[in-house]
Amino acid sequence: MQYLKTLIIATLLCVFALPAYAHHVLGRPSYSLGEDSNTPPSMQVETQIGDFYVTYMAFPAFPKPNEQGRVNLYASRIDNGLPFDGKVTFKVRDDSWFASKTEVLGVQDIDEVVYRQGFIFKNDGDYIITAEFESGGEPYQIDFPLRIGEPLAVGPIGITVAVLFFILLVVNILQRKRRFSLKAKRAREENNS
Amino acid sequence: MIMTHAGLPDTWVWFALSVMMLALLWVLVRTPSNTSTQHFMNIERLPVLGQLARLFAASPWPLLILKFISVALFLTVIAAGLFGTPIPERNLATTLTWTVWWAGLIITVFFLGSAWCAVCPWDTIASWLVKHRLWRRADESSSLGLKVPKAWRNVWPALAMFIGLTWLELGVGVTTNPYATALLSLVMIVLATIYMAVFEGKAFCKHVCPVGRTVGFYAQLSMVELRPRQQQRCDNCETLECYHGTDEVEPCPTHLVMGTLKQSTYCTSCSACTMSCPHDNVGWRVRSPATEAIQHARPHWGEAWFMLGLLGLTTFHGITMLESWEKGLSSVGQWLGDSGQLILSFSLGMGLVFFLPILLYAILIKITQRLMPIEINFKQLFSKLAFISLPLAFVYHLAHNLNHLVRESRGFTEVLMNPLGRGSLPLSSHELHTRHMSPLISEQLLYGLQAGLMVFGFWLALQILQRRTMETLTDQAAWRSHYLLPGVIFIISVTAFNLWLLVQPMIMRM
Repeated sequence: MQYLKTLIIATLLCVFALPAYAHHVLGRPSYSLGEDSNTPPSMQVETQIGDFYVTYMAFPAFPKPNEQGRVNLYASRIDNGLPFDGKVTFKVRDDSWFASKTEVLGVQDIDEVVYRQGFIFKNDGDYIITAEFESGGEPYQIDFPLRIGEPLAVGPIGITVAVLFFILLVVNILQRKRRFSLKAKRAREENNS
Repeated sequence: MIMTHAGLPDTWVWFALSVMMLALLWVLVRTPSNTSTQHFMNIERLPVLGQLARLFAASPWPLLILKFISVALFLTVIAAGLFGTPIPERNLATTLTWTVWWAGLIITVFFLGSAWCAVCPWDTIASWLVKHRLWRRADESSSLGLKVPKAWRNVWPALAMFIGLTWLELGVGVTTNPYATALLSLVMIVLATIYMAVFEGKAFCKHVCPVGRTVGFYAQLSMVELRPRQQQRCDNCETLECYHGTDEVEPCPTHLVMGTLKQSTYCTSCSACTMSCPHDNVGWRVRSPATEAIQHARPHWGEAWFMLGLLGLTTFHGITMLESWEKGLSSVGQWLGDSGQLILSFSLGMGLVFFLPILLYAILIKITQRLMPIEINFKQLFSKLAFISLPLAFVYHLAHNLNHLVRESRGFTEVLMNPLGRGSLPLSSHELHTRHMSPLISEQLLYGLQAGLMVFGFWLALQILQRRTMETLTDQAAWRSHYLLPGVIFIISVTAFNLWLLVQPMIMRM
């Protein structure tokens, strides 16, 4: 029992002696105001690809059609924090399963530590901005979401209503069939008797 | 800007550890009793709660009103998620679902058992769509009423759903995405409706729903239960209206017979039994918490996995809030060539954290099996002692959720006034700081509650271990304290790790 108690205390001491940390999660869009809250809100995604940490910021956070917007991209090496110094190609496509057309928004050089790409979209919708660059002979391609204007939400509701309607319809038809065959069976039994 | 909540101070940790040591010593030195004991009191005898309980038992309308409110809020959540702002802290979909409901739900289980299931909007909407009745017994032809296939008649689907929900929550980031939160809500309605339309009773609630099963298992630790007022009356009952229903009232949707009910895991608190009993013999009563987990709940292989899964996944929530987790994820991502949200690396980490406590538990059960003086099957012992994981998971879940609820639900009334967040801006640094500095209750009270909860869970786990080990032995004379050692090691390891997690600063979710 003494051995057990010593073991417990030793284990707990080891565990509680570890240092404390905080955390944040990669790859999720987040919205923020600058330190000076008069600045417009931006949408930001932090992520990593290969040897690089990449931060993408869209200004404004909620761009509208025919409104000037800008994407800032920061890429720094994970091992030493040095910024990537090359060319980055920005492309755009519709964020849909059937989208095939990709347009080049521009090719940008580094400006201090940031790659800036301006944009103007004519139509509402969800788009994917792709940033492409090459480092150490390896091609890098990373996608970020960008919503222009108001989202179209009829899709999910329409699909849900359609699925629910279909299920209830099928159940109804099957139940009618079941009732009909039960009636027919009873009628046959009555005739036979 | 990232804000973190301060972790549990050392003073509270040492306080918790000291009490735990005393509890451990007490359990190790005493010989447990093998007799069944239960203390309870009828809620209806209590002044205010009693009137409330009688009101709900006498008429379907109070419950129906609550269902309407719950459905209205749920539909608002969907509308806010689909049409509202994508800023999570300004949208009702994310704040109500993840900060208030999901965090608060676990707290309500202790005081109200599985009461949430009675007003669950997924089940309510599915029932209304399929049965075309607000509460009365539906025509049998409204559903195909098929029996659930034997292979699915367990909690494995619910465990898979719970793993999936945790993956979506922490890996994909549904908690900070109002649109995805609304989509998830729609998927749950579709699933509940399919099950309701195809299978008999509430098969979705019983076998699939990750929330219902989590609530159901935690309800074993609750301080309330729905039981017969007089056992004798149920023993003599031959009509079993609680099971079969009446012309007006539905039968028990999860096929429970009130007279033989020993555990609340599958009770959805739907009130069908209280309304159908012709002798008015079913009611709520207050009991000593965890009575079921300690002595009444029957062990099952699948249920044991669900309880251990709950333990792994609740601990996993805390782990994902450590900087070392992110660093590790980044390194694994580089190694695997993973990019973007590092979903592959995340999934691997989640799998590891899920299986590690189960592996440790299995090894310790194997050792217990060797130590025991009687022959006992490994699966049986594994299932029987898995109940020790339930309070360990529950108290950490509560302590962790308290942090979210107390520190992050400030500003919820503003969101309630503008559920879609129209025209709102993200939280400024000043607002973030204000929220951070003004929790709903004082920090010291929060720390006290967290430390107290950890002690409570540790104590309950020891009680369960002792009682269930004794039951396995059957002969009190064969009792030796060292049979408990492997189980005690498991309880200490899990409690120590979870306590350490609470000590760490925790990031604000939104």
